[in-house]
Amino acid sequence: MRMDFFEITTERISIESIARRIVPPECGATVTLDGYVRQFTKGKETIYLVYEAYEEMALKEMKKLIDQARDQFEIVNIGIVHRLGRLEIGETSVVISVAAPHRRAAFAACEWLIMELKRTVPIWKKEVYTDGEQWIEGQSDSPSLPTAQR
Amino acid sequence: MSETIRVKVLFFGAVADEVGRRVDELEVRTGAPSKSIFDRLLSDYPSLSTHKLLFSVNQNYATGKETLKTGDELAIFTAVSGG
Repeated sequence: MRMDFFEITTERISIESIARRIVPPECGATVTLDGYVRQFTKGKETIYLVYEAYEEMALKEMKKLIDQARDQFEIVNIGIVHRLGRLEIGETSVVISVAAPHRRAAFAACEWLIMELKRTVPIWKKEVYTDGEQWIEGQSDSPSLPTAQR
Repeated sequence: MSETIRVKVLFFGAVADEVGRRVDELEVRTGAPSKSIFDRLLSDYPSLSTHKLLFSVNQNYATGKETLKTGDELAIFTAVSGG
């Protein structure tokens, strides 16, 4: 039975409850990424972050990532939760949990999922500093994503 | 048959700040490709071209070739930065 889930929330994320939601009897390892708000980025201090999403499309893209990960890795279940709104330093912004019979595939899938999420899921972060604020722009000049300049 | 159709355009993050709104309805000639909307926005807001932009049509990344129909939901936004 598939126990995958993918959600967007404005509430505080409970990491343990996410990790436990995806554990079936045939699994022996769950790898969980806890992504949280960094205080210093290249020496510049962030006071807090604001996350915004194109929610309907973000959920569709998360679903695609889960399906693609299942095709590539020997894993059983995946849970992804991303938080939106204002987040303070140290608060969890994203959790990705992957349950597998063996740890190696779970680590690989979790790393692949966060890389792809940062490239394809339409969510943006704004860093707020003592002296201003800035929307962060992703790296994705990826050929698989169409761009305006093409 | 009408000569024009209306589509919805959503703006997010830095793009919403630059265009000063989060949603708009634009009129476009029947049968036009999605690229025509994106090109129009870039010409109306030249500052947008300083960003790495992505586009979608009906919540899927766009190729620019989609034939638009009434009620389509387009979006324009910068390269994503979640996580």
